[in-house]
Amino acid sequence: MEIEELTPTIEEMKRVLEGKIDESTLIEELNTYLNIYKVSLEAAKRGILRKYGGDSGFVTAESINKKIDALEGNEQNVDLLARVVFIEDREIQTKNGPRNISSGILGDDTGTVPFTSWESGKFQLEKGVTYLFKNLYAKTWNEKVQINLGSRAEVERKDDVNLGMPERTYSYSSHEAKVSELREGMSSVTVTGKILSVGPKEITSRGEKKTIYTGILADETGKVEFSAWEDFGLSDEEVIQVKNAYVRAWRGIPQLNIGDRSEISRVDDDFDDSMGIGESSIKSIGELIEVGGGLDITVLGCVVDLRAGSGLIKRCPECNRSVFNDECASHGRIVPVQDLRMKAVIDDGSGALTAIINRDISEALSGITLEEAVDMARSSLDSDAVSHRMEERIIGRWVKARGNAISDEYGLMLICREASLDQLDVKAEAEKLLKELEVMM
Amino acid sequence: MIRETAWRIFAGELNSSQLEMKGEEEKSPSYLITPLGAKVNRVLLAGVLMEKENIGSEEEPMWKARVQDPTGSFFINAGRYQPEASAALAQMEAPRFVAVVGKTKTFSPDDGRVFVSVRPERIVTVDEDARDRWVLEACQSTWTRMKALRSALAMDTPDENELVKKGMNPVLANGILEAIGYYGVSESSRYLRMLQDGLRMILPDQHIDLGLPGDDADLPDEIDIDPEKAGSDLDQEDLILSFLEILDTDGKGAPFADLQKEAEKEGIGAAQLEEVTNSLMDKGLVYEPVLGRLKKI
Repeated sequence: MEIEELTPTIEEMKRVLEGKIDESTLIEELNTYLNIYKVSLEAAKRGILRKYGGDSGFVTAESINKKIDALEGNEQNVDLLARVVFIEDREIQTKNGPRNISSGILGDDTGTVPFTSWESGKFQLEKGVTYLFKNLYAKTWNEKVQINLGSRAEVERKDDVNLGMPERTYSYSSHEAKVSELREGMSSVTVTGKILSVGPKEITSRGEKKTIYTGILADETGKVEFSAWEDFGLSDEEVIQVKNAYVRAWRGIPQLNIGDRSEISRVDDDFDDSMGIGESSIKSIGELIEVGGGLDITVLGCVVDLRAGSGLIKRCPECNRSVFNDECASHGRIVPVQDLRMKAVIDDGSGALTAIINRDISEALSGITLEEAVDMARSSLDSDAVSHRMEERIIGRWVKARGNAISDEYGLMLICREASLDQLDVKAEAEKLLKELEVMM
Repeated sequence: MIRETAWRIFAGELNSSQLEMKGEEEKSPSYLITPLGAKVNRVLLAGVLMEKENIGSEEEPMWKARVQDPTGSFFINAGRYQPEASAALAQMEAPRFVAVVGKTKTFSPDDGRVFVSVRPERIVTVDEDARDRWVLEACQSTWTRMKALRSALAMDTPDENELVKKGMNPVLANGILEAIGYYGVSESSRYLRMLQDGLRMILPDQHIDLGLPGDDADLPDEIDIDPEKAGSDLDQEDLILSFLEILDTDGKGAPFADLQKEAEKEGIGAAQLEEVTNSLMDKGLVYEPVLGRLKKI
């Protein structure tokens, strides 16, 4: 995507980010998301806002111009230049009596989208005519985007515009991606992998009970959680190719959605154990920040800080939340349970994340047991004595930590399942670098 | 707000940095652009704590410390806004291996010189293995920047977007372009020497020789300040006096060789240094307690 096309987006984001980012960095970020990771504009905007601390709720305050394939289904105010492919008038029942609406399909050179005009009398839309639609809003219904013309909508007839619509209106062109390449907002993606686990899950979608099938798919680059919205008869250990899937993210972790447009085929692929299928994937923290998160990730880095809330903490025996002053927000006055925890900032030179480390791992890493910590706090009369001791033991040490990486308003976190001090053969690595230098000289 | 990455960077490169990008808004971060294009706000460093001194009071300490890596020294300043680091420094004795996480700060007198120091968030004692691992990572990251700089210079017109398209980290691509714009083409032998010094420290048994041009490669290259710009003789005298203080670790005066090294980093060559010290001796501000040592009166 060319920078010129992005000018309205850049202006909009600058406004929302209120100087938290300068224009050149912003363009650089957009370029990275759009041209390197090839995510949709909407996802790129969300990603950048999350990274620089803007409030993505404000993004759509002013209308933005989009192509149909860029619609995310959550736009509050969007403009479309599109042709009415099909239209019909309908009468629906509302609590204020019957109402006339129009519905149909809009198309442009990138695809088609169903629409509803709630003020049917206001616009006399004709089939086959191109219009500039302004101030529309988009919603998602059954995993599909729908466009709505509400009371604020405006329509201008554009007879002189040639949209260059393709003959075939639905585009099934799908591009292949490895699991590690999946990014929030991707659509029509093809992934091949082995099902590590799968099972049915009852969900309630818009008041209706539905069974979906969720599990974990893995290739040699990593693992991803998937949700199949139809029963494809999937089973564990199967190697499948999924076509036309799309990617959404939960707390930054990309998730693969297999919808009713998706196709699944069983493949005779040689995913054997030697490829490390199902093993934790080692990632740079910089890459994780770019993606937003990941399932079963391993990072290697130096502990550069311990955050507040590390050390000896108290938890509510009912809900396990950490409490102050023996008082739980939900359960009132309680007799708290003592626990040990670390929130360690790990930095690998490409970025930093906060590793949330539970009691067992904290004990092993710091060499301080919960019992010792309780004694230490009691005898020193200093509530920070334990965390100070932990700092001495862990800051400046290199660790290897494994778990799920997620993003929230505090940035990237790793919920540790395992962590240990990392032993690297420094001499061997130095020799590798020396060889490379000698070749280049 | 995303946490700033802690760059692994040698003292030799960090201290040669002159270009600062100030944050435009009050809370936006400032960055120091190094000659190899690192865009630094925070650093992780490790080395030998050579000396520490409280130049504040007992009640309100202001610690100055020097940490040496294979390429030079980091200058550390910790005051009351760095409570953890100050408390840790108070209890440490030099020499020992330390690791420091901190923010880079610059001080520029009116004459255009830039002094780089580190304001530590954390300073901890580490073992030799940890120091070696840091040296390795600093070597790796220096080499990454050298390669990035090389590929940018290979373009007819170095272009940030093109570099990113080729897979370069966007932050690095931005820093590289800023560095080329400000410093021009840096002398790569200077940085190869840093790599050589780093690798020699990790692999002492291998006689590593990258075949670099003679020992004078240690001399400052074109990115260092041209003496014309380096301020008046009086400023240089002040600088030398402050070095004498720092380098006088045992009260017997500062070894002349150490002084020469420090002066060189500031762009003061041997001949010039002699002029300055002669002038200081003439003024009666310094004397030579034993041959090869210089002491402030």
